[in-house]
Amino acid sequence: MVTLSTQQLQVGYGDKVIIQDLSLHIPEGEITCIIGPNGCGKSTLLKTLARIQRAKSGSIFLDGKAIQDIPTKEIAKQMAILPQTPGAPNGLTVYELVSFGRSPYKKGYGKLTNKDRDVIEWALEVTGTDEFRDQAIDALSGGQRQRAWIAMAIAQETELLMLDEPTTYLDLAHQLEVLKLLERLNKEEQRTIVMVIHDLNHAARFSNYMVAMNSGAIIKEGTPFDVMTPENLRHVFNIEADIIQDPKSGKPVCLSYDLIEQKTLVKK
Amino acid sequence: MMAKEKGVKKSRYTQLIILLVVLILVVFFVSLNLGAIRIAPLNVMKTLIGLGSSQDQLVLFDFRLPEIILALLIGAGLAVSGAVLQSVTRNELADPGIIGINAGAGFAVVLFIFLFDKSMSSTNFLTIFAMPLFALLGALLAAFIIYTLAWKKGISPVRLILVGIGVNAGFGAGITIFQLKMAPQDFTKATVWLAGDIWANNWLYVLSLLPWIIILIPYVIYKAHSLNVLNLGDHLAIGLGTSVERERRLLLILAVSLAGFCVALGGGIAFLGLVTPHIARRLIGPKHELLLPVSTLLGALLLLLADTIGNNIFSPTEVPVGIVVAVLSAPYFIYLLMKTD
Repeated sequence: MVTLSTQQLQVGYGDKVIIQDLSLHIPEGEITCIIGPNGCGKSTLLKTLARIQRAKSGSIFLDGKAIQDIPTKEIAKQMAILPQTPGAPNGLTVYELVSFGRSPYKKGYGKLTNKDRDVIEWALEVTGTDEFRDQAIDALSGGQRQRAWIAMAIAQETELLMLDEPTTYLDLAHQLEVLKLLERLNKEEQRTIVMVIHDLNHAARFSNYMVAMNSGAIIKEGTPFDVMTPENLRHVFNIEADIIQDPKSGKPVCLSYDLIEQKTLVKK
Repeated sequence: MMAKEKGVKKSRYTQLIILLVVLILVVFFVSLNLGAIRIAPLNVMKTLIGLGSSQDQLVLFDFRLPEIILALLIGAGLAVSGAVLQSVTRNELADPGIIGINAGAGFAVVLFIFLFDKSMSSTNFLTIFAMPLFALLGALLAAFIIYTLAWKKGISPVRLILVGIGVNAGFGAGITIFQLKMAPQDFTKATVWLAGDIWANNWLYVLSLLPWIIILIPYVIYKAHSLNVLNLGDHLAIGLGTSVERERRLLLILAVSLAGFCVALGGGIAFLGLVTPHIARRLIGPKHELLLPVSTLLGALLLLLADTIGNNIFSPTEVPVGIVVAVLSAPYFIYLLMKTD
């Protein structure tokens, strides 16, 4: 199974340091959720792991090899990345978009091979986008569109799947739809999934491993039970949270929370 | 049913290509008939198979045919150049004219007329061979300046466009400075060139442009998939395994070269590179394997049509083709601007 890890990673833009001295091992075959407040560097970490953002120092190892030494096309056969709110040109159909997922396997002008077509069919089916295959991406609803993008990413046939806030701008049902799809891909296909996600309860419910970040450093990593504690959430988000165990999923749930500063304000 | 729908797009593409080829042939024959000397369709046929009068032969083979073929080649080249620039910069308002390629070529030509061509006749030997070369160098210089100024640990598409607009304005100012110092007839000549005019209607020019178009356009079509992926944005393109910076540089060089060669012989034809890919995208969608061939034929058709109109509407006075293109496409351009918000 493909492994992904970092050692003393440092990332920044110009003089500004975003991530400082970060070492992390992504557990293989699991769903890992990265959580943290806005600007904590979680998106930057994901981008750096996916070689979209260059590190200032430190290293990233994909299957034991330093990522900058692997040709980008080879990486694309092992790792797919779906950025936050990706954009497709108007009029591009779902089928055409999903077929772009086969890019790493293309040679030259390379028409789609039979194998490519099979994988595209499979991706359309698994994501439930088959019925929109000939519709333009821009004509779809948010949830359908996100599933089409995921179809493109899984058509890359990679063991590693990285997603940056895959549920943003989706309504409750569609959020769950996307997350359940990812869960299925993880369970049935043993894909390693890494995602940045804002909703703590979704993170706890769907991940086996959680990484909580603040100010460019990992505050706590481990199982949802290790990470979703009132103390950790106080450190990471500056909130006072009530954590209970969800009787259905058995995972920790943040029932309610309040701002720490606000409490002191009220006392005055 | 699904397979059928996919077939529909494919057959729509085939129909579109056939339609464009037929339209090009129609305008081609109409254009052969029309002009200061009208030649009846039957005589055109006769002349084409070698049975016409010597006057008809002279008019058709030495004047009209080279101009028609140049119009087709230049139209195709500018359209593909515009399509590539729009996808690489992810900006639907990009075209060689807007980012300063035309202005760079124009500046070189004005400089050339100012320095070397003072009060010489326009059929001067030097003019014929050196002017397109100057225009090409000007286009490449503009592209080089834009790329260098826009470089900041890589190229961001937005910066490329903004710098291009700045470079465009700079060259525009330079053009005005030199033009104002010109003798009246040189001024007129430069103005006509800047407006876009297929002035170089002889076979030598056709032969100097043809190989480039034949090599560059198929090569761009070969690169269709890179354009598809770059069009999704840098992050997705990297994720899909594309060497973004390398592919973008290569495609920019291809687009600028195409524009440079075309502008060298067709003058500063604006809007064609902007409008043609738009229409093509409406007709067949943004997938470049289909978009680029449609743009090629559509660009060729539109410029030939504009050239035919320009040559005949105020006959015997010829209107520069660039002006016809501008008059025809400006309303469409304004419509696009209004629609994008």
